[in-house]
Amino acid sequence: MKHLLSTALAASIALSTPFATTSVHAADEINVLMFGMPFTNGLRDLADDFEAETGIKANIDVVGQDVFESRIALSFTGGTGDIDVVHTPVIQVQRWIQAGWLQPLTDQVSEETTSDILAGPLGAYTVDGEQWALPFFAGVGLMSYRKDLLEAAGAEVPETWEDMLSVAEKITTKDQAAIAMRAAPGQGFNMFIFPMVMRAYGGTFFTDYEGGDFTPSINSPENLEALNVYVKLINDYGPAGAGNFNFAEVNAAAQNGQIAFAVEGTGIISQIVDPANSRFADVTGIALPPGGPAGRSPAIGVHGMGIPASATNSDAAAQFIEWAVSAETVSKIALAQSFPDFTTASVADNPEVVAKYASIHPDFLSTRVAALDLAIGHYRPLIPEWPTLGQAIGESVNAAINGLISPEEALEQAEADMRDILGQ
Amino acid sequence: MTAQAQLRKGATYQLQRGYRLMMVPALLAVAIFAIVPLAGMFALSFSDYHLIRGTNWEFGFHNFAKMLADKRLMNSIYVMAALSVLGVAAQVLIGSAVAVGLQKITGRWRVGRILFLLPYAVPHVAVALIWLSLFTPTLSPINAFFDVFGITVPAMLTSQWGAIFAIVVADTWTNFPFAMLIIMAALQGISPDLEEAAAIDGASRIRTFIHITLPLLAPALLMVTLFRFIDSLKHFPMIFVMTKGGPGRSTQATNFYAYVQTFQSSNVAYGAAIAVMLFLMAALISFYVAKLNQRVTS
Repeated sequence: MKHLLSTALAASIALSTPFATTSVHAADEINVLMFGMPFTNGLRDLADDFEAETGIKANIDVVGQDVFESRIALSFTGGTGDIDVVHTPVIQVQRWIQAGWLQPLTDQVSEETTSDILAGPLGAYTVDGEQWALPFFAGVGLMSYRKDLLEAAGAEVPETWEDMLSVAEKITTKDQAAIAMRAAPGQGFNMFIFPMVMRAYGGTFFTDYEGGDFTPSINSPENLEALNVYVKLINDYGPAGAGNFNFAEVNAAAQNGQIAFAVEGTGIISQIVDPANSRFADVTGIALPPGGPAGRSPAIGVHGMGIPASATNSDAAAQFIEWAVSAETVSKIALAQSFPDFTTASVADNPEVVAKYASIHPDFLSTRVAALDLAIGHYRPLIPEWPTLGQAIGESVNAAINGLISPEEALEQAEADMRDILGQ
Repeated sequence: MTAQAQLRKGATYQLQRGYRLMMVPALLAVAIFAIVPLAGMFALSFSDYHLIRGTNWEFGFHNFAKMLADKRLMNSIYVMAALSVLGVAAQVLIGSAVAVGLQKITGRWRVGRILFLLPYAVPHVAVALIWLSLFTPTLSPINAFFDVFGITVPAMLTSQWGAIFAIVVADTWTNFPFAMLIIMAALQGISPDLEEAAAIDGASRIRTFIHITLPLLAPALLMVTLFRFIDSLKHFPMIFVMTKGGPGRSTQATNFYAYVQTFQSSNVAYGAAIAVMLFLMAALISFYVAKLNQRVTS
């Protein structure tokens, strides 16, 4: 008992002492914090391989996204140094750099490693000439469609959102909905999907993003046209309750045969067309998401791994990241998990990987590559304020879907919020 | 003072010092895990700490002044009040009703009480996922059941009051056992003689309950209402999982709004100021209810 009390006392004092050492692990041990995805789950299972190869023990902690956000906020703001490698979504990288939370790894990763990574996702982590993280995941927007329902309605696969409106009208009956898309508010939820419609109609977030003019343009006529289409598709041709759908509900509706079309990221589409998951897989096809007058702009979401500024073991951390994105490690994960979203180019040459995904759906990998070619890196603006902007716009878009305000009012509200957030 | 008395006094002092030393870890734990973070939150609420815009470490009342003009904050307080009042009322009512009902059950069926406690043991995120499925028409067995009879159950999560109702239902399901437990304990403390005496005097069961049982339960009812109300100010997991604050912003309760400001908008100082306001609100309610409780008990 006495021992227990003295241990507790010592622990309490150590915790309360501000000048206590911040390094909480040995030099040959690193802490890796990731949130749950097929790749990160697969990586956790391979931790022993890394230790066998390098002699460095990797404690890979894979947590839920909400827990992840709290953990990093505490660790980064407190500079505790308890994380050596951190899951770095591309959408957050600018914000983290601005906040001084990441350290560049330009000089710590070899040319050999970076040359095998797809240029688009790699470039998304290059800011001010420095490499801040290496990508492991690039999910793109795709569309799944039910061949049998299209045939019964005498319709073709829609090439544009305009086509989608007319095809959806033909398919929708009292018992059959046509389409489901993410509608729940959030920069990673409806704001992962809605920009596909926006950009197809020529809508943008800013007057001239590439030219550096960040005057909001969310209330443009193009965006209004897009929002009207998005709202109509969800409300008139979607299943009941679609105004609150997120990716899980879209996935379930597609797998249960409740919808004919799902416009989603590769992670969800790969499950919808996989016979092991969905009983309608054999009558489901894959296509690029619809386009519009301004072309086609599939959504893109990139995830990578970076080193926190407070990390104490950055050499070992960089070694881990290089190992994690190596063709050998990624191939193992692509084979063990449902993970077709890899960014290590040579994995696509691995015959076992190709065979695995061809057996799920013959068009899957080729459609993914075609979508990646069309996707623009700044699909969602790569600026530090984006998470705040995306949240605000997503809330207004969701309010319009659910009839709380009109699409015009939603875009005016979003415009005002954007100006407020950007201090304009 | 005799030598023996002096010795005894010395022994008492030794004993007291021993007890005081044993309290040190607990006091340290309170200091580290409650007082230090609280002080930090108060300090941050007066600062300009912002992760993106940069921080000059200027201290003042600007965050509190901003609150007065923040329509989203006012909306969040309105949402929080609706969720808390409706949720706590439902939990206390259902908890009391079940407690009174279970009190009547005797013999081996008493084991059945455990069934009513199960929802309380389920983690809130799991509760939210269960009810999200039940309120999603394409997944819900409730909708499937009524569909058989041609009845369409409306989608709850796509309208403001529907979504508030859904969150209240989920919150009530998981928290009514807490109210039930406290009321059951209070019921067991009431002497059956009182009810018997009332019965002999010819009082009906309902009159006995209203005039004898209920007044004796009042302190417990007040306490459970207070505990649940303060806890309900922390609405988060149900909203995060079930609605993400939607439709639009119509289920963004104040605690969720503080999260949005801190984690989505990087405005840590403003998020802390909102948390301070919530803390003071809870403290104020506790103070008044404790005073009220004292009056009722005496």
